[in-house]
Amino acid sequence: MPTITFALKDIQELTGKKLSIEDLNELMGYAKGAVEGYDKESDQVSVSVDDTNLPYLWSAEGLARLFRQVLGYSKGIAPLKIHKGEYQVIVDESVSKIRPYIASFVARGKKVSEYLLKQMIQLQEKLSEGYGRRREKIAIGVYRLGHISFPVTYKATHPESVRFVPLDFRKEMTQQEILEEHPKGIEYASLLAGAKKYPLLMDDKRVVLSFPPIINSAATGKVELGDQDLFIEATGTDQDSILLAMNIFAYALYERGFTIYSVDIRYKTKKITTPRMFEEKIKIRREAIHELLGIECSDAEVKRLIEKAGYGYHAGSVLIPAYRKDILHQNDVIEDIGIMYGYDKIPEYPMRSFTIGEQLPIHNFLDAAREIMLGLGFQEMMTSLLSNKKTLYDRMHVKDLGTVEIQQYTSETFSVVRTWLIPILMDILSKNKHIEYPQQIFEQGLVTVRKGDETLDYERIAAASCHERADYTTVKQNVDALLSSLGFAYEIEAYEYGSLIPGRSGLIWVNGKCIGFLGEIHPAVLEEFGLEFPVAVFELNLTELFELAKK
Amino acid sequence: MLPDFSLFTIVWGFKVAEKALKQLINSLHPLERKLIPYLEQTSSVESLIQLSQMKDVEVMRALQWLQNKKAVKITETVKEIIALGSNGKLYAEKGLPERRLLDLLKSGPLTLTQVTKSLNLSKDELNICLGVLRKKAAILITKEKEITVRILDQGKQLLGKEMLEERFLKREFPAPVEDLEPEEKFAFQSLVKRKNILRSIEQKKKGFELTELGKLLVKEKVVSGDFIDMITPKVIRERLWKGKEFRRYDIKINVPKAYPVRKQHYRKFLEHVRTKFIALGFKEMSGPIVETEFWNMDALFMPQFHSARSIHDVYYIKEPEYGKLDRALVDRVKKAHENGFGTGSKGWQYVFDVKRTHRNILRSHDTSISPRVLSSKDLQIPGKYFQTVRCFRYDVIDATHLPDFNQTGGFVIEPGINFGHLKGLLKLFAEEFCQTDQVRVKPAYFPFTEPSAQLMAKHPDLGWIELAGSGIFRPEMCKPLGVDVPVIAWGVGVERLAMFTLGLKDIRDLFTHDLEYMRKIRVI
Repeated sequence: MPTITFALKDIQELTGKKLSIEDLNELMGYAKGAVEGYDKESDQVSVSVDDTNLPYLWSAEGLARLFRQVLGYSKGIAPLKIHKGEYQVIVDESVSKIRPYIASFVARGKKVSEYLLKQMIQLQEKLSEGYGRRREKIAIGVYRLGHISFPVTYKATHPESVRFVPLDFRKEMTQQEILEEHPKGIEYASLLAGAKKYPLLMDDKRVVLSFPPIINSAATGKVELGDQDLFIEATGTDQDSILLAMNIFAYALYERGFTIYSVDIRYKTKKITTPRMFEEKIKIRREAIHELLGIECSDAEVKRLIEKAGYGYHAGSVLIPAYRKDILHQNDVIEDIGIMYGYDKIPEYPMRSFTIGEQLPIHNFLDAAREIMLGLGFQEMMTSLLSNKKTLYDRMHVKDLGTVEIQQYTSETFSVVRTWLIPILMDILSKNKHIEYPQQIFEQGLVTVRKGDETLDYERIAAASCHERADYTTVKQNVDALLSSLGFAYEIEAYEYGSLIPGRSGLIWVNGKCIGFLGEIHPAVLEEFGLEFPVAVFELNLTELFELAKK
Repeated sequence: MLPDFSLFTIVWGFKVAEKALKQLINSLHPLERKLIPYLEQTSSVESLIQLSQMKDVEVMRALQWLQNKKAVKITETVKEIIALGSNGKLYAEKGLPERRLLDLLKSGPLTLTQVTKSLNLSKDELNICLGVLRKKAAILITKEKEITVRILDQGKQLLGKEMLEERFLKREFPAPVEDLEPEEKFAFQSLVKRKNILRSIEQKKKGFELTELGKLLVKEKVVSGDFIDMITPKVIRERLWKGKEFRRYDIKINVPKAYPVRKQHYRKFLEHVRTKFIALGFKEMSGPIVETEFWNMDALFMPQFHSARSIHDVYYIKEPEYGKLDRALVDRVKKAHENGFGTGSKGWQYVFDVKRTHRNILRSHDTSISPRVLSSKDLQIPGKYFQTVRCFRYDVIDATHLPDFNQTGGFVIEPGINFGHLKGLLKLFAEEFCQTDQVRVKPAYFPFTEPSAQLMAKHPDLGWIELAGSGIFRPEMCKPLGVDVPVIAWGVGVERLAMFTLGLKDIRDLFTHDLEYMRKIRVI
C-alpha cells in the first residue's frame, strides 16, 4: 500500500482550494485512501492509497487532478498538451532479450526547486519500486537536457567495455564493477542475472546517460536545483507499463507548468512517439449500472458522473484517460460512477431471501469433545498452527511424521505446520514451571500431515496432565471418560513410541481403526523440556472419530 | 454528663467484651485450644513450640488465626548474627596474617618480595596486614634498593601478646552482635571491614504479644469445649450434634485460591462470532491449510504478476511443491486472466503460467475458500456462506503481527442483488458487532471485487473503526467458476475486534502460553 508525502500548501494550490486536513481526508476517500499524518511545523501531509492498480494517484499532482474532478472544478479527460519534439532515441536490437522497451519525453521551461525535485523523485520511486516491481517492469531516469546530444542510443554492451562515473561515485567504473561495488548495483544486480550484455543509454557524443535499470551517470544524470529542461525516460520489460509510467510522469510535470515535448523511439522495424496517448474506449451497458449499483440514472446523469470521474463520454462509449491502465471491464467504470454518485447516497436494501444458517457438521462433535475436557478439569489452550521440527521431533525423541515446511520463513520458531499437538502442550508446560501445580491442559485444533504428494488436515484433541501423581491410570481414566461420553467403545494395544515410557503407552483402537494413543512421557523427554513432574498425555484424531460416528 | 449514663456505658462495654469473648471461644480451632494454655508462659514462638509439643507449622497457623481474631499480635525481630567467613576460618586456625608477618620479622628485616613469598597472601590481604601493623607502629617500611620491612620496638612488644582480634576469632560462632563484650565489639569492627573474615547474617525471630482480648482469653478455661468440629458421617448418623454447639469458623479467613478451567478466551470469542453468522442465516465453509496459488489467488483473478505474490508476502512450502487441479477449470481461469474469457473484459493481457498456478502455499487469506465453494456442485443459490479459518502471512512477529491469524469472511449469492444489498449487509454487521447504526461505507480496493467498499462503524468504546471490507466479485472471477449470478463478498476484521473485546494490547496474547493469565483472566 503506497504512502506518499507532500506539503498541504502544495495540494491546496494544485487543487485550487484551501483544503483543511479534514477536507483532505474526506477527499482521500475518493482515492481509496486516507490521511495518515500531518506535521504542522513542516506542513507535510502523508497519505496512503489502497489501490495498487492506480499509480497516477501516487503523486500530489494525480491526487489534485482527482480532487478537482470531485469538487467540480474540471471534468472529462484532463488536458495534456504535447508539442512535437525533435528528439530521437534509437533502440539497438541488442536490448531485445534483456530489457526491450524504452519510452521517453522532454519537459522544459520550469525551474526545478528543492520541493519539486523531491516530488519528482517520490513519483519516480513509487512508479519504479512499487508499480514497476522493484525496477523489473519499470525503471525511470531523469537527466539534464542541456548536456545531451541527440539522438540517444539505447543498446546492450559488454559488461567490461564501457567506463563512466556513476551517480554518488567519483571514479570511472565498468558496468560489471558497478554491479559489484555500487550500492545500487548490489541492490538491483539480480535484475540482470544471466545477461551477457548490460543495457546502456548513451548520447551521440558517446557520453553515457545511464546504466538502466541500475544507475544514472554523474555527468548527465544528476538534476540540479535551478535546472529548467529535463529528459525523462523509462525502460522495462513491459511496453504498456513504461508507456503508462511516462504518461503519468508527463501529466504531473505538465500540471507543474512544464512544456512537454514528444520523443521519437526508433526500433529496427517500427517507430513510436511517446508520451503515447492510448485513447482506449470501453462501452457501458446502461442497465449494468442499475444491476451493479442499484441506482437509476438518466443519460445526462450518467454522462455527468462519467465526466466527473475524469473520463470522456460519447454515445455510450467511455474514453479512458492515458494515465489509467486499470480499466479491464465496464464494472471498473461503473465503480467510479458509484463513487462519484456517492456511496453514502446509494440506497441500502435488506437481504431478500431466507437462508438457514449452519455450522460445519464436525463442529458439534468438536465442541462436545472440548466440553468433556473442560469438565474433566483441563484448561483449554489455542496456539499457533506453526511450529518447528526441533519441538515436534527432536525434543520429543521421535522421527519426522511427514511435515509441511515453509520455504522461506521469518522465524525458525514458526517454520513448519504442526503435525501433532502433544509437543505444543509440552512447550506450554515448560514455560509455566513457576505456576502452581497441578497443571492440566488440552488443545483441540488442526494439524497437517504430509503423505507423499498429499497434505491432510486433521482436527485433533490432545491433553497433558502434569503433577506429582500424573500417571497412566489418570490418563486412561480421561481417555475413557472422553470416548465413552462420545459414544465409542475402544481397545488399547501396547505400543512403544519414543516420547513415551515403554510398557506405559499404547494405541487406541475404535472399530478397527487406530485413532490415537496415550501414555506417560519418558523422563528423557521431560528433561528436554526441563520438567520436574511426571506428564501423562493422550492425543486423538477427531476427524477420523467423527467419520466413524457418522457410520 | 449523667453519672448513671456513664455507669451504663461501663456495664454495656463490659457486656460487649464478654459477648466478644464468648464468640471467640466458640470459634476456636482445636489447634488454638491446644496452644492457649502456653501463651502466658512465653513470648517467643520458639519456646512456644517446645512447651506445646506441637509442630511449628501448627503453632504458626494457630497463632495466625488468633491474630485474625485479634487475640494476639505476632511480632518479628531481626537479629544480626555474625559468623566466620572463608578467610576468618583460615585465620582462626593458622593465625592472623599480621601475626605471621611479625613472627617472620623477628629474625631481621625482609624485602617485600621475600615477605610475599613466605606468607602466600593475596595482594589485598598483604596490604591490609601491612596497614594494620603500621597503624600500630609495629613495623617500618622503607624504600631502599627494594621495599624493605623491619620490626620496631612496639612490634617486638606485640610478639608475646595476644591481639584483641586474635582473641575474638577464638570465640564461639555464630554469635549475635548484641551479645558482644565492648572489647569484642572493637575487634569486630576492625575485622568486619576486611575481606571474607566475618559474615553477617540477618536472623528473623518470631514472637507474639497478647492483646487485651487475648489476656482475657488465657484466663478462661477453653480447653474443655464440648463443641462439634468436623461434621463426620458418624456425627450425622448418630446425631452427635444434638444439644451441642458448633465450633464457629473465622468466616473471613483467607483460603487458598481455586482456579477453574475455562474455555480459551480467543476461541470463545470466535465461537461467539460463528454463532452470530449462523443466526444471520450463513452456512459455514472450510478449506485446506495447504492451498495452491490457483485457489488462493488465480481463481480470484489476481494476476500472477501482482505485487503481493512474492516469497516475502506468502509462505511457499517445500514439499509437496505442486497440488492437483481440475484441468478444465484451470483453463477457464487462464483464459480469464489472458483475455477476459468472454466477460466483456480484456483480461490482464499476459501469458498465464499453468505450472505456477499449481504451486502450493499456506493459505494467505480466507477468501481462498470462496472460489472452491462457488465452483462446487453443492453451491446453493440463493445462499449465504461464511468461514472462520487460520491464515498465514510472511510477517515479522511483534505486538501487532503474527505469522498465523484468523480471518472471517464469506459471500452472499442471489440473483438480482447489488451494491444496495451490500450496504444493507454491512449495516447489519455494524449492528451485530458494534451495536451501532452509525456507519460509513467508503470506496476501497480489493483485487477480486468491483465495486469494492469498506465499512467504517462507530464502536461505542473505540470510535470509528474499520470493521469490514466488501465488494461484488468480478465477472472475470465468477464466470470461469461457472457462476453468472451476482455475488457479494465480505470479510470482517475479527482479530482486531477480539483484541478490543478481550482488552488485549499484544496480539500474541490471543494464543498465549501463560497459564497464570488463563487462570486469572476475567470471563465477562
